[in-house]
Amino acid sequence: MQIMKKIVSVIIGGAFLLSMGCTKLNVPIQSQYTPANFPTTSSDFTAAIGPIYTGLANNSSAGTRYAVEYWRMQELSTDEAIIPARNGNYDDGGQYRFLHLHTWSPDHIDVVSCWEWGFSGIDQCNSLVNVFNAAPASASKGPAIAEVKAMRDLFYFFMMDLYGNIPIIDTFPVVGYPATQPRAQVFAFIEKDLLSLLPSLSTTVDASTYGRATKYMAFALLEKMYLNAAYYTGTPRYTDAVSMADSILINGPYSLDANYGSVFAPTNGPGVQETIFAVPYDANLIPGDQINRYGGATYVYPLYNLPQPESVAMSTDSGFYHQNFILPGDTRDTFWVRGPQYYFANQQIEASLYPSGIIPILQNLYPLAIFPASYTALYANYTSGTLPGVYYYLGAPYDIAFWNINYTDSLVLRGDPSKMDVGDDVFAQCEGIRSKKFYPDPNENSQTEDANNDVPVFRLADVLLMKAEAILRGASATTVKGTLQTPVVLANIVRSRVGAQLATSSFSVDSILPERAREFAWEGWRRNDLIRFGLFEGAWGFNLGNGSPDLRIYPVPSTELSLNPNLVQNPGY
Amino acid sequence: MKAILRLLLLALFFLPVAVFSQSRTIKGFVTDSAGAPLEGVSVTVKGTHKSVVTNAEGRFTISTGSPGAILEFSYVGYISREVPASNGTAVTVTLTSRGGQMNDVVVTGYGQSAKKNITGSIASISSEDFNAGVISTPGELLQGKVAGINVTKSGDPNEQPVVILRGASTFRSGSAQQPLYVIDGVPDASIDLVAPSDIATIDVLKDASATAIYGARAANGVIMITTRKPKTGQTRLAYNAYVSAEQVSKRLSMFTGNQLRQYLINNGSPLVPGNSSGDYDDSLANTNWQNQVQQTGISQNHNIYFGGNTGNTIYGASINYFDNVGVMKGSSLQRTSIRANVEHRMFNDHLRLGLTVLNANSTSDQIPSQVFENMLIFMPTLNVKEAGSAYSTEYPYGPLNPVSLIANNTDQSKMKTFLANALAEVKIQPGLKYTLSLTDQTTDTTTEIYEDSQSELARGLNGVANSSTTSNTKELIESFFNYDHNFGLHNIKLLGGYSWEQDVLGRGFGVTTQNFSNDQVGPNNLAFSNPPAGTIVLANSNIGTLKLISYYARVNYIFNDKYLFQASLRDDGSSAFGANNHWGLFPAVSGGWRLSKESFLQSATWLDDLKLRVGYGVTGNSLGFDPLIAQQQYGITGRFLSNGEAINAIGVTQNANPDLKWESTATTNIGTDFSLWKGLLSGSVDYYIKTTSNLIWSYPVSSTQYPYPDLTTNIGKISNKGVELTLIATPVKTRNFTWRSTLTAAHNTNKILSLSNSQFNEQSINTAFLGGQGQSDNWSQILQVGHPIGTFDIWHYAGKNQAGVTQIEAADGADTLTPTTADFRIEGNAQPMLLLGWNNTFTYKQFDLNVFFRAVTGNKILNATLAGLNNPSSAHFQNLPTFSESESFNDFNSYLISDRYLESGTYLRLDNATLGYTVPIHSPSVNRMRFYTSVNNAFILTKYKGIDPEITQGGLTPGIDNSNFYPKTRSYLLGVNVIF
Repeated sequence: MQIMKKIVSVIIGGAFLLSMGCTKLNVPIQSQYTPANFPTTSSDFTAAIGPIYTGLANNSSAGTRYAVEYWRMQELSTDEAIIPARNGNYDDGGQYRFLHLHTWSPDHIDVVSCWEWGFSGIDQCNSLVNVFNAAPASASKGPAIAEVKAMRDLFYFFMMDLYGNIPIIDTFPVVGYPATQPRAQVFAFIEKDLLSLLPSLSTTVDASTYGRATKYMAFALLEKMYLNAAYYTGTPRYTDAVSMADSILINGPYSLDANYGSVFAPTNGPGVQETIFAVPYDANLIPGDQINRYGGATYVYPLYNLPQPESVAMSTDSGFYHQNFILPGDTRDTFWVRGPQYYFANQQIEASLYPSGIIPILQNLYPLAIFPASYTALYANYTSGTLPGVYYYLGAPYDIAFWNINYTDSLVLRGDPSKMDVGDDVFAQCEGIRSKKFYPDPNENSQTEDANNDVPVFRLADVLLMKAEAILRGASATTVKGTLQTPVVLANIVRSRVGAQLATSSFSVDSILPERAREFAWEGWRRNDLIRFGLFEGAWGFNLGNGSPDLRIYPVPSTELSLNPNLVQNPGY
Repeated sequence: MKAILRLLLLALFFLPVAVFSQSRTIKGFVTDSAGAPLEGVSVTVKGTHKSVVTNAEGRFTISTGSPGAILEFSYVGYISREVPASNGTAVTVTLTSRGGQMNDVVVTGYGQSAKKNITGSIASISSEDFNAGVISTPGELLQGKVAGINVTKSGDPNEQPVVILRGASTFRSGSAQQPLYVIDGVPDASIDLVAPSDIATIDVLKDASATAIYGARAANGVIMITTRKPKTGQTRLAYNAYVSAEQVSKRLSMFTGNQLRQYLINNGSPLVPGNSSGDYDDSLANTNWQNQVQQTGISQNHNIYFGGNTGNTIYGASINYFDNVGVMKGSSLQRTSIRANVEHRMFNDHLRLGLTVLNANSTSDQIPSQVFENMLIFMPTLNVKEAGSAYSTEYPYGPLNPVSLIANNTDQSKMKTFLANALAEVKIQPGLKYTLSLTDQTTDTTTEIYEDSQSELARGLNGVANSSTTSNTKELIESFFNYDHNFGLHNIKLLGGYSWEQDVLGRGFGVTTQNFSNDQVGPNNLAFSNPPAGTIVLANSNIGTLKLISYYARVNYIFNDKYLFQASLRDDGSSAFGANNHWGLFPAVSGGWRLSKESFLQSATWLDDLKLRVGYGVTGNSLGFDPLIAQQQYGITGRFLSNGEAINAIGVTQNANPDLKWESTATTNIGTDFSLWKGLLSGSVDYYIKTTSNLIWSYPVSSTQYPYPDLTTNIGKISNKGVELTLIATPVKTRNFTWRSTLTAAHNTNKILSLSNSQFNEQSINTAFLGGQGQSDNWSQILQVGHPIGTFDIWHYAGKNQAGVTQIEAADGADTLTPTTADFRIEGNAQPMLLLGWNNTFTYKQFDLNVFFRAVTGNKILNATLAGLNNPSSAHFQNLPTFSESESFNDFNSYLISDRYLESGTYLRLDNATLGYTVPIHSPSVNRMRFYTSVNNAFILTKYKGIDPEITQGGLTPGIDNSNFYPKTRSYLLGVNVIF
């Protein structure tokens, strides 16, 4: 028995030791991509470039979209767009109000998220340069690296325009804490890099390069930088701006589309002949275009066959509209939604009631007898029941009036003025001029309200008007394809497309800003234009103006200052 | 593995065999000291496995085998006795209660021990003390019964209770905050597997000296579940069943349709009557939406169990059917559990083989969470359906019809969990035992969600269907030696072992598609959908293999039954952690001194037992971890145009952190166990200091350094300090009447000590974004150094101005109508001061009555539900609570979340009252029959204005009631236990 026991002990001990043999903790990676298995194939490399573009359109980790947060930084801080509060709604901690009143802080949600958006894009480009550098040699390697770097330069431009002085990072991983550099050096870095990339960038302009960085995107970006160089660096570069414009005008396969609206329509895309670089959006596949979601077609959504009412939030400043949209015949005027609203001719429901064929879009009102006093001053003849637009009444228990939806130009603060609050009844919701330039998309995503309209960044009309401005500011006019392109000639290319009264010899540098307001309204350039013309400190809407010129650049977010000790806050913050 | 099994079989073959057989019969009768018969006393012939138990009348019959045999009588809670069996004479034995639970056996990790020899803080609850009621998970059995465990649960049949032991010690939520469950020795087994009626005892390992043997998963405590097994000599068939009726315990008081109409007329802004479509909000109805979506839920549970113990063979099987119908229409849980185990001793007790199989199939029906908000705010002036067929709607973007939400959205999950455990225990030589335990567990879940063509959650999409499956598997090998040896006054116990575990989580697929031509098939046949381009969503599978390898050892030493010492060490390796920190060491030491054994206390006859315990140990928290958490990962970041096609963009979605490691909790525990006056009063007191460092947090990193904005890293420290008291008293004990009373009390102080590490430095982190009108950038809680988790950082209500508008006190002390986040201030926290449980059992002859009270004091609840409801100016499209009756119609700030809505969470609840009657049966076939009736949540005393103050205490943002609370219930229950 003793022997048996020993044998058993040995066997058990052996079993124990055997089971202890498994000491390795490495586990297989089955469903994820990690540096161990990605990128390896050419399709991997194609997919690896994608995050740059998705990040530009919609950086989900930073919560930033070109057409929403970046757009707000460039537009809500100007007279082109405003989001007032509606009985507390759309105040959202004052973020839109602060942009309108120029009272943003280093903690402003868009100031923070756009910084993350830009530098995340820059870091991603830098890390991709490493990935491509390490890839086996091929014909596509050089152009791929050039494309990634050109996109990095575009992100750099956005960051330089928003924040002025920023760190220059061109390697990955980033060693240590990058330090703030003066704006002029950032300008020089972008310029030098872009110029060096020109030989490697693609000149193909078709569906295959739509929404991707090409040589013409680089030219347009350089033109924009040179036009603003006096402001960015203190050194004017107008002749260089003209030369960049000519690089596009002479060699680029671009032409203005006959229909201005088609450039921004839900169906826009590679078919548009004048788009040099756009951020492509898709209601389902590439979400992030919400210009119309905030554009305010709440009561008129059936007019545009939208699946649901849009938000009532965003409109334009009445002064901006009336100062700029003044040219006879200008079809660009028709992209604003103003005044009483009627169904289109092909939507004639209840036609028998309206033999005239003009069918108003109606909204029922609260009983007139107990109409809040605050409205009687505004709609004075309402109490008498004779206001135009009131259509009929029902009987007991309360009389009801139906009102023809009517967008009024001005915003009147009938809510809390300190919150820039216009109130939230149907009249308040119909205050303000709305835009349908990015035409409401009946195929928008009915849950998220993301639309299919691509949002142009650079287009031919901008190249033309930038060239005109550069010439008016001191550069010489040049001849392109046999035509001497004076500022009047250039302006009239743009004006004749929309049927507007043509410019005459009185067209001066002061004519440029209103011309750009008409042509590029809600395209994200207004802040840049106002600063270049020295008018960013002007008064509009509820913004009393006379702010500090320091506000021409946004502050470095306080979160970033705390995470990177080498960042320097911009002056005045 | 195969090699090991082969070796084992070989070993068995060579083991010695010895079986004897002879027969003599002895009868007897066992009573307690008061003369009452004792049922269930184990009677064993010493030195053999022959054993029987006494019946309800305390009688037994046993065959002894040989003359001169000695009978051992043992019974939980009583002093064991040995009596010589004189042939032919009826043996009458009186057992005396040993007082307290000192000799009860306590299940510790990889072994068990007498309670008197325990040096750690362990609480044991046996089935007779479990909470009664409609109970689906083991955690609920313990609510209020174990000092230091904070259990919160709503009335949702599908919601797991939140169980927090000795205060939150992590910033992560979900399973990261839950204790480790060990079911019959299998760590981290699914708690869905065990039907509560099958559980015999639950031991809660609270301090590190008790839990450190489970290393990196033990920081939140360990709950050891032991299922019932027949005692030696017993064969039994038992049937337990109950049926219950459940109702909501409280409804919020909202305006009726008439009240709302009148309120609006009084304020000069009446509703527009009309009843055609969503543009009108008044069809002259008076609908109580809470009534419409709630019901009396009839639930039932049936459990049949049979088993036997012949001494050498133990077998048992049970079937449990549980059907819990929720009080919210459309929510329910059905579960069928099967359990079978067989155990056999061979070769003269040298080998014990066991096999246990557990299986549970459940079906869960859930309702959309929006129902809870909309049953309050949807206009009472509308009918459920308008014009006969269509559900009434409000103007788009308004509240959603709660009845329609339930009717037009379905969410059903079917889960199948299977566990098999094989066990072999070999006695190598006296005192030395080797155990090999192999476990395999599979959990398959299928979820089908359908938002039909009328659903307001998927307007205009003609039905959205989601179908997904997930399969998780767990393989586990536990292999360990136990050595137990007495020499002289010394007792030594050694444990050494190895554990290997591999979990594969998240295997499966999921598809979401839309646009069906009718609602008949939905998720059952996705092929009928016509999804527009880009609307099919394929689930992003995340298969993770988590491998855990551990070595552990423990030494117990007892000198003279007086001085106790224990030390343990576990070396844990986990594949989830950074390459630089795969392995971690978790040590613990503890000591105990049984003062009552000292000579100077021998004269104190009133003192049965007194023990002091001190322990220190370190445990880790690696629960709830994505196995790839530490690695750089690429994921789909969206789509982009490539050659004109929108294809997947693949980019970095997680920064690598090779230094990531587990949260580490160091616990010091000082405690005492005592028993006085022959067990009339016993109990324990514990004081602990628990400090957790290396808290895991997703920290924002500089976007100028990293492409992804946060990094999962170890930062900061948090401490929990507290006192726990358990008292068990038997104030009255006569032959016919007994009153037993148990009181548990626990106090814990939670405090964040640091939010920094060498790389990151932070003083506070804002949490709890609740949204709400105009407040979408506001948070409501803060993690701040020096304050506990769940600290409220909100506005201070400064009364109303002359116009009746709510004012907030600004940071500069002035009153303002337009507060900003700079005006937030710290206003108390959600941590309770004291948790109390008081259980009383009265038995009088055949009757038994149990009354259980539970109280929580000192915590704050943010009633964000009420804040959101109190919005008079929105009364045209959302209903108001009667609370708003006196609010000014002009108060455009009334809904702002401020300390006006921060309420005391103190409550006292009569949690359960059960009256039972045991039918006196003198039948050879029926052993025992008991009927009982029970009421749960009979009443509650509280000032809290919401539905119930039992708001979850778990997660990073505890104590917030924000329109997402499944109402608590009150249930009436009728049950029967029969043992044959």
